[in-house]
Amino acid sequence: MVMRIEAVRARSFRGILIFALACSVIDVVPIPAVAHHSFAMFDFDKTVSCAATVKEFRWTNPHVTLLIEASPKAGDPPEIWSLELTSPGNLTRLGWTHSSFKPGDRIDIQFNPLRDGKHGGAFLQAKVLDTGQVFTSSVRDANDAPNLQ
Amino acid sequence: MHRREYPRRVFPRRVFSSMTARALGVAGLALLAMGRLQAAEAILNTPPKPKDWADLAQLPDWSGVWTPNVSDQERRETADPIPWNRKAAAEIADLEAQERAGNPKGLFVDCLPEGMPSWLLITHNAMEFLFTPGRVTILGEMDGNRLRRIYTDGRSHPADPDPSFHGHSIGHWDGQTLVVDTVGILPETYIAPSEAVGLPNNGDMHIVERIHLSGPDRLEDNLEITAPHVLTKTWKTSRFLFRQRARKYDIAEGVCLQGNFSEGKDSGGNSVFVPAAQTDKGNWLPPDK
Repeated sequence: MVMRIEAVRARSFRGILIFALACSVIDVVPIPAVAHHSFAMFDFDKTVSCAATVKEFRWTNPHVTLLIEASPKAGDPPEIWSLELTSPGNLTRLGWTHSSFKPGDRIDIQFNPLRDGKHGGAFLQAKVLDTGQVFTSSVRDANDAPNLQ
Repeated sequence: MHRREYPRRVFPRRVFSSMTARALGVAGLALLAMGRLQAAEAILNTPPKPKDWADLAQLPDWSGVWTPNVSDQERRETADPIPWNRKAAAEIADLEAQERAGNPKGLFVDCLPEGMPSWLLITHNAMEFLFTPGRVTILGEMDGNRLRRIYTDGRSHPADPDPSFHGHSIGHWDGQTLVVDTVGILPETYIAPSEAVGLPNNGDMHIVERIHLSGPDRLEDNLEITAPHVLTKTWKTSRFLFRQRARKYDIAEGVCLQGNFSEGKDSGGNSVFVPAAQTDKGNWLPPDK
């Protein structure tokens, strides 16, 4: 009986996972986000939104990188995407730490994809589903006013 | 007679002959004379006196961590035109077209320092100012924690300074304004209004800065950049910084090259950096399927 319930739960969870990991793409007003190198290789006219699973979180200069697993389209097998952010210093000021994400975290993610169609993007926002914590990464929010708290 | 004053076991006769002694004596006197000559010509940085430290209190308060006004930097990419010469303007137009097409040139992806003046023009990272007797030191967060030394002890530039990314800077206080004069910048150092658009200064660049508080927590750097090989006239521009007091703004380590590596293990299980695959644009891509 217990095994059957677990099996049902597993099937349900897998169904939810496949549904939730599928990304959607919407067109938005472009918001440039540049850093140590230009970010012009990202398409700021498009925002990809989806649920994903964190694979790796690289807290390194000059750009922090978040590797996620998500399905580009509903029903497709999950694939790994590499999302780029500003520096650890700037992210610290936005409330991040080197342990903000850990492998296996389930998140809702938004990013601007690479123009060339490869699986990379510029991070916009992520919500950790287990905690509800929302992370943003705008360098303007981290820099563009005095006495920021 | 003189030789007998030394114990034989220390200076055996067969080694320390009178001829050798005379030769060494002459050489020693010559070295001593040279040393005195060098000492007479050496320029010493004298130790500060209590008054030198007290005088620092009369300077404006630039304490805290300063963050760049990023939005203003970006606004100036189009609103603050640079007087490029004809050849440079054509190259800049090509770089701008590449960036618009989503294929930006990575001017700084090699992680060499942005240098002067680009790090002031485009940095997105914080910096701080240290006042000590005879010097203002600027410590930054990127480029492996960039650093500028601005000598305020009245010295001149060297006659032929060693070229460097940040050049040789001397400064003086004009009231509440720090006036900085910088020469000796490497010809390869970019004048770059963005990370993807800019050109090497090609030599003989001269930068004058007037840095002052233009608000209680706003620092303004007015720059005059003269680069005769790429500009038709001196480019006058400004950059702004905001003061932060929150401790989370303390300067972080920012080693640019670290991004070219990922953390791994060697065959002995030691924690080591291993090269990471990157595109020529400086992006990490996910591992191959």
